[in-house]
Amino acid sequence: MGLNSFKRALWVYHLNTGSCNGCDIEILAALTPRYDLERLGIVLVGSPRHADVLLVTGPVTRQMAPRLKRIYEQTPDPKVVIAIGSCGIEGGVFYESYNLVGPIDQIIPVDVYVPGCPPRPEAIIEAVVKAWVKLEKAAGQKVA
Amino acid sequence: MNINPLDFWNPLICIISFIVLIAAIYLFRSRGQKKYKKGTAQTQIFLSGEEAPGAEQQHIKAHNIYWGFFQALKQYYDPAIKAHTGIINDYIIWFIALTAAIAVILFVVGLI
Repeated sequence: MGLNSFKRALWVYHLNTGSCNGCDIEILAALTPRYDLERLGIVLVGSPRHADVLLVTGPVTRQMAPRLKRIYEQTPDPKVVIAIGSCGIEGGVFYESYNLVGPIDQIIPVDVYVPGCPPRPEAIIEAVVKAWVKLEKAAGQKVA
Repeated sequence: MNINPLDFWNPLICIISFIVLIAAIYLFRSRGQKKYKKGTAQTQIFLSGEEAPGAEQQHIKAHNIYWGFFQALKQYYDPAIKAHTGIINDYIIWFIALTAAIAVILFVVGLI
């Protein structure tokens, strides 16, 4: 990936749809000084209306489904969705629960999948980079 | 002579400051995101994923002040509210039933 990909900061909104917090802790680990995603301009933001990327964890509980959909709709285009963790991809250990309407791609379109329970920060960083490339393609920018 | 800077007043400087401020606001605003889709959820208020209530629902009703009062008298209010169906037939049934009950009581007492 060339320097064209770093023309502007990538703003990410993190949403937990019923995760056990394992994946969320790994996302935070990616922001700690050991990995320090912010040095690359990847920042967590507090509102999807400011975000380029939705980072979704959890298997989507019944209560969270309409909220997930609403947050997706409130994110400006072009946007990319990353499903973090096995739960968000196929239900994980919760797959038999009566209270699930997920996985995530049953509710909103997902662009990048990161399997793992939980996935390591390196995997999350790689997913964000892939999402970034996809986002730039969608935005019609040059990708090296 | 002691001059307080807060006492200084020059209309020309005020107007120029105002114009500069407006220009700065316009410049800042014009650099904002323009790609959002108007008339969709992208323009709605973000409330942590909750549905934003309509403008007419965003005030606190005076009824809320009496919450404790209604809560304390719930046993009375719940059946009373349930009985008020708004259907005229129900009210007529109540009227006939109560009239009959009063008539029976008066008859038993010996007043009629």
